[in-house]
Amino acid sequence: MDAATLFSVLQGGLVLGALYALMATGLSLVWTTLGIFNFAHGAFIALGAYIAWQFSSADAWNLPLLPAILLTSAVMFAVGALMHFLLVKPFERRADVVLISVITTLAASAILENGLLLIWGPRSKQIPPLGEGEVVLGQISLSTSEVILLVLVLAILLGIGLFLRYARPGRIMRAVSQNREAAELLGLNVPLYFAIAFGLSAVTAGLAGVFVGTIRFMNPAMGSEPLMKALIVVIFGGVARFSSPIYAAFIIGLLEAFSIYVVGLYWAPAVLFFTMIVVLLIKPEGLFGKHQRTL
Amino acid sequence: MSDPVLHVKNLSGGYDPVQIFQEIDLILHQGESAGIFGPNGHGKTTFLKTLSGLIDPWSGTIRFHGDLMNREGERGSRKWRNFNYDAVTRRRMDPKKVAWAGLIHVQQGNLMFPELTVDETLSISSEAARGRDGWTPEQVRDLFPRVAERRGHKIRFLSGGERQMVSVAAGLLSAPRLLILDEPTLGLSPKIRQELCDAILKVRKTGMPIILIDQDVGFLEQIIDTLYLFDHGRISGRMTREEMPDHDGLMALLFGEHH
Ligand SMILES: Nc1ncnc2c1ncn2[C@@H]1O[C@H](COP(=O)(O)OP(=O)(O)OP(=O)(O)O)[C@@H](O)[C@H]1O
Ligand SMILES: [Mg+2]
Repeated sequence: MDAATLFSVLQGGLVLGALYALMATGLSLVWTTLGIFNFAHGAFIALGAYIAWQFSSADAWNLPLLPAILLTSAVMFAVGALMHFLLVKPFERRADVVLISVITTLAASAILENGLLLIWGPRSKQIPPLGEGEVVLGQISLSTSEVILLVLVLAILLGIGLFLRYARPGRIMRAVSQNREAAELLGLNVPLYFAIAFGLSAVTAGLAGVFVGTIRFMNPAMGSEPLMKALIVVIFGGVARFSSPIYAAFIIGLLEAFSIYVVGLYWAPAVLFFTMIVVLLIKPEGLFGKHQRTL
Repeated sequence: MSDPVLHVKNLSGGYDPVQIFQEIDLILHQGESAGIFGPNGHGKTTFLKTLSGLIDPWSGTIRFHGDLMNREGERGSRKWRNFNYDAVTRRRMDPKKVAWAGLIHVQQGNLMFPELTVDETLSISSEAARGRDGWTPEQVRDLFPRVAERRGHKIRFLSGGERQMVSVAAGLLSAPRLLILDEPTLGLSPKIRQELCDAILKVRKTGMPIILIDQDVGFLEQIIDTLYLFDHGRISGRMTREEMPDHDGLMALLFGEHH
């Protein structure tokens, strides 16, 4: 493997890792706060991509990319909060809420994906790239849009991390996720923070969809494979901290890129699953996991 | 005369479908404190959880400073076991409104927020008070110097006693007008237990109304004006502090002479 190939594989792995990190963070945000697994997360990814396309495409409303992304985030936040009230809230006092929400979120996922097909049709679409040309560093040249993507994702993740750590609502979200009853007894508005967590998770999914849409063709089912990967990342990394799925995402992304290079596209998933099984055999709560699930 | 601090009338409740306590009457006047004494597993904690709205009451009323805390009337029957009543019925009580009114419940064996630091927990509690007058962080730090020393530590790493102190401190910061303490001294070593008891006594001396559950008659005597005996989900007796017998006397009242 020469240096140029190494760098291109490395870059591919980092981009994959960044996308997985964004998806897995959203997934684990809902898992740690509400204790449910959101199977509509993949559909949120596709929804975000289509909404951003609607705002930004020359064939639609033709807004510049940045306002389009901001508007998409706002819409996704509202969608996420609404989904919480429709899919989870009515069942939250039942003992079997985990199982019921599997069903409701799966149903929502099917409805959303088919809704996308109805509204935007089956023709493949693409969002304009984040940047053009190449960044040249000495002997290596990197595609500008992928560099921007990496920087944006890292900034978003850092922003969410700082929000959870230092901002007042973020701190309260962590408290709510760790002990719901104690939070209620202090007078904290627990349902509101659940809705915020769901909304924030939908925003990260939507942004992941936008970024995927800038580098690949979009279709209504585009979220299902990333959802699978995000799930692997969450299981692989554990959810002990906000940052554990992020590390795991980059490990998986790089592993995927290198195994595609070494064993080919066909066998790469097998390598991933094999690695995951080995990790889980040795450390069942995930690579960076502890046994409790909190934010 | 002003409204009583807490007026519970004919309250029944439990964990659906199992009823745990029934027809409880309790009244707490301004400036008073009450204790609840009863055997393990007879529903004291369940009763307190109902007072603070964590679980919905089945029937009866809870008035706090004259304001009704729950929706009046019997809860509807839940005949069809497979029907999701929660989707179509409103909750009969909202714990956050109870807390905003100033009825603060410090739970039994509360783990609080294991991954938050002491300081983060305490600042969340003062924010939750939403500007109502409560204890200031300085006052709480003076009351629990041991907690103040460990401000940067995660709650997960505190001892049981320190954790209990953080729970009480959080309660004080969220501006209570009535403090409900559910077995705060359970399972603590004698030294730290004494510290906590002294602190609670200091809180009581500021005139804070307290409802205290404890198994230690000596400690109850220092805090309360009225003692309720709690037996099989009912109030089986009520006495003033002066009328209170010692521990053996209370056990005899609850179980008969030869328990
Ligand atoms: N979440 C729950 N769901 C169903 N039943 C419960 C639940 N929690 C407690 N119980 C039952 O309710 C009954 C009363 O328990 P509770 O904790 O209120 O008693 P207690 O008087 O506070 O006891 P202790 O002195 O040990 O704290 C017990 O029989 C218990 O098994
Ligand atoms: Mg109890």
